[in-house]
Amino acid sequence: MRRTYQRALAIVFVGAALGLGANAVSPRRIPFLTPPPEPPKAQDMAALEDAEALWKNGTGFFFDARSPADYAAGHIAGAISLPMEEFDDHFSLIAPMLTPDAPIIAYCDGQECDLSRRLMVRLRELGYHNVRHLVNGWTAWHTAGLLTHTGGQP
Amino acid sequence: MKWINLILRLILGGIFLASAVAKIWNVQVNIDYRVQFSHVPDLATFAQNVTNYHVPPRSLANLVAITLPWIELLAGGLLVCGIWKRASAVVITALMIVFLAAIGWALAHGYDIRCGCFGTVDARKVGVMALAEDGLLLAMAVWLAWCLEDKPQQATETNP
Repeated sequence: MRRTYQRALAIVFVGAALGLGANAVSPRRIPFLTPPPEPPKAQDMAALEDAEALWKNGTGFFFDARSPADYAAGHIAGAISLPMEEFDDHFSLIAPMLTPDAPIIAYCDGQECDLSRRLMVRLRELGYHNVRHLVNGWTAWHTAGLLTHTGGQP
Repeated sequence: MKWINLILRLILGGIFLASAVAKIWNVQVNIDYRVQFSHVPDLATFAQNVTNYHVPPRSLANLVAITLPWIELLAGGLLVCGIWKRASAVVITALMIVFLAAIGWALAHGYDIRCGCFGTVDARKVGVMALAEDGLLLAMAVWLAWCLEDKPQQATETNP
């Protein structure tokens, strides 16, 4: 029995060592410790007025980073559902509509929600540089009495 | 009994091997069923999955993401090959308890997050199904840890 536990510990330590080694030599290595969440940057955040102006203008895209169920329950009118958790599945359908300069507002809901910022980062990685996120987007939008829709992706 | 144990070993070890490979090489299946993977270890997505569980301390999420899949790979591989079977089953049992605790934590806090159970290859959310599946895997692991015997130990028991 004791031998079994010694071997089990050996498996854990050798496995961990392999993992650390493989990560260290991988060109896509990740830091040993998780970096703290980035503080929000002012130039990344859209003010509600800016978002509203863009929306009225009709030239921008609004991406809802929440789950499809949240989207169906209510979203900014004309927004496109792009759930951050299922980005790859959804984005291939949306990409043909976009140009690299397209003004994009990503939003989710709640002050703490990180989905829209992550969506912004992801879109920028893909070359869409004109992306900002609307903090607490859904709540801010509908409490301001701006136009909303319900239902799934059109 | 021997056959049952062999089949359970292959199933459980195979599941651990597959999930480890999916995590380490960031295997993804596209909407049109094309399989994509990284040619080098790429744990960023899995690290994000781990971070999403919000189990403190946050700073250790990367360390878990770096080491865990390789422990799974090793334990699953050994179990399939029949080397250090019992020790592998013990490691897998411990891992399943950790996974169940993490899923329970996420459910208790109402997090709507991806399971990350098979890395990025499955889009399943954490939920009662994931809990049930992991419960089944835990039962298999406990059974094997109970029934299997490592050979040298058997020898010492039979020798007076």
